[in-house]
Amino acid sequence: MTLPIMKNYINGEWVESNGTTMGDVTNPATGKKIAQVVYGTKDDVEQAVKAAQEAFVQWRETPPLTRARYIFRIKEVFEENFEEIAQTLTMENGKVIDEARAEVRRMIENVEHATAATTLMCGYTLEDIAKGIDSYGHRQPMGVFAGIVPYNFPAMVPWWFLPYALVTGNTYVLKPSEQVPMTQTKIFECLDEVGFPEGVVNMVHGSKDVVNAILDHQDIQGVSFVGSTATAEYIYKRCGETGKRVQALGGAKNIVGVMPDANLDAGIPSLVSSFYGVAGQRCLAGSILAPVGDIADELLEKFVTEAKKIKVGDGLSDQTGMGPMAGKIHQDRVLAYIEKGIEEGATLVLDGRSCKVEGCPDGYFVGPTIFDNVTPDMTIAREEIFGPVVSVVRCNTFEDLIKLVNTRNFANAACLYTDSGAAARKFKYEALPSMVGINIGVAAPMSFFPFGGSGNSMFGDIKAHGQEIFQFFTDTKVVMERWF
Amino acid sequence: MPITNFGGLLNFAEEIEKQDMAFYNSVADNQDMSDLCDLFQGFAKDCKKNIVHILRTRRENVTEMILEPIRDFFRKPFVLEAQNDKEMDRAQILDYSKKLETRAIDYYTEGAVKIKALPEVAQALKLARKKRIAHTTKLSGIQYKTGRKKEKFL
Repeated sequence: MTLPIMKNYINGEWVESNGTTMGDVTNPATGKKIAQVVYGTKDDVEQAVKAAQEAFVQWRETPPLTRARYIFRIKEVFEENFEEIAQTLTMENGKVIDEARAEVRRMIENVEHATAATTLMCGYTLEDIAKGIDSYGHRQPMGVFAGIVPYNFPAMVPWWFLPYALVTGNTYVLKPSEQVPMTQTKIFECLDEVGFPEGVVNMVHGSKDVVNAILDHQDIQGVSFVGSTATAEYIYKRCGETGKRVQALGGAKNIVGVMPDANLDAGIPSLVSSFYGVAGQRCLAGSILAPVGDIADELLEKFVTEAKKIKVGDGLSDQTGMGPMAGKIHQDRVLAYIEKGIEEGATLVLDGRSCKVEGCPDGYFVGPTIFDNVTPDMTIAREEIFGPVVSVVRCNTFEDLIKLVNTRNFANAACLYTDSGAAARKFKYEALPSMVGINIGVAAPMSFFPFGGSGNSMFGDIKAHGQEIFQFFTDTKVVMERWF
Repeated sequence: MPITNFGGLLNFAEEIEKQDMAFYNSVADNQDMSDLCDLFQGFAKDCKKNIVHILRTRRENVTEMILEPIRDFFRKPFVLEAQNDKEMDRAQILDYSKKLETRAIDYYTEGAVKIKALPEVAQALKLARKKRIAHTTKLSGIQYKTGRKKEKFL
């Protein structure tokens, strides 16, 4: 059977890359190849940026309301193709179909938020800054922007940036993850239906060569990135060398604290889905479960009971509660962390290593795994595992919990389960991570709030989506004006 | 088979509506039931509306933040074998229609409780249920009178 080959989308056309390296796209539930992708080259990026640069001239002059109408049309075609996008996503990424639908929904929510450009892009003005002189600031688009996005949310993450870039009058070049190129290819087929002027939106598939070509290109004004901390830091530095704007979102080690007064019966379902949703492969997933005081044993008992009920399998079945790792390499990495946990002396309470799924013998599955008696210095309490592995770090006091939260290498998200408003306030106030959940296991900001961490979880100043994103994609030109 | 999540719950609702729509469309075309053609066409139309509504709910109300599992909810009590109205007499058709409606009402009632963490979804199920309750009322008002061929009740 001939596998489909993903093409680039440049200047309103589907074009073949001039690259010679081919990568396989695999369904992680079955281990079967389902498509191929050609890794693009510097020349491919050059063509895409040239097209985007040329399109910018007309596009920036297009009135914001007209640009917003294109965005409304995107919403229409996304709604029409909703299920197909979600199914494609599950096939190449592995996540459960409901999780894929939720991701596509979040993608569309960003499209919806971007349509508010005629309000959110407005500048400001003040009369008489000096006698007879008025001043005002316009938000002007800047040119070509680029996005480099990860494998774990192949539909949503590009759309944390792309619709805002377009609606503010910029043009765009996107590089999807080479591991999951089919979802954005499907999405760009939808964009092709919308009928953007040629060159306004472009996509180049590929790997490191494409990334470096984007980072070094003098005509790209800014880069949005989501991925590992190491790559985020690399991108931040390299963009700095070429004077680009950059927002680079990195990894996480999210802690979910549970106070002795927490309502466990109400909280357990969201606690469990915090750690095992998307098989732990999200930057907001809980990674350390930190009971405070004497609730630990009861919490652990209930948590283990629920974790055992999770049915692992092919995400396309609506009976499945947790899908596979997104790839073999990720499965191996998670299994290595489990070995490390055992080696360093943590107590393995639930072992997901030998997880087998009927009908999917070659899938990249890891079952729900739980370690108890993990200490803060252990590798599994310090590094991002990005899989369905829970490390239980027991804390004696609330202060121990805060110390644990604030001494990780990352500061992305933190959650607290409690019935105490005072404890909740103290937690919100003192925890360093930028996204906080109270009795919420996944502190994922909606499109109209900013998304991003601090510390080693975020390099740059302006986060994804929210109102601030309009600043990232515009330059505020300030005019001082006097008439004689 | 257990229904364990948001998608599973709405997928089964879609299956129920599709099964019922197919039956009602067939009855509407059944010459022996011609006096009730408009009624069954209306029922089929309502099922179609419910399907659109359910699919829209599945698209628009899925939220990752509260994608929590559903427990202790099973398809089995709500499974009804598909029937061919051409092999049934008037009374059997009306009885079976009532069964379909009762099944749908029960499913939406229980489903709304199970999905209460997503109030908009529970509301959508209640709306679908409302249409089915109206069907039941209409069916109750029909006399099992003489059909052209298969005379059973007067």
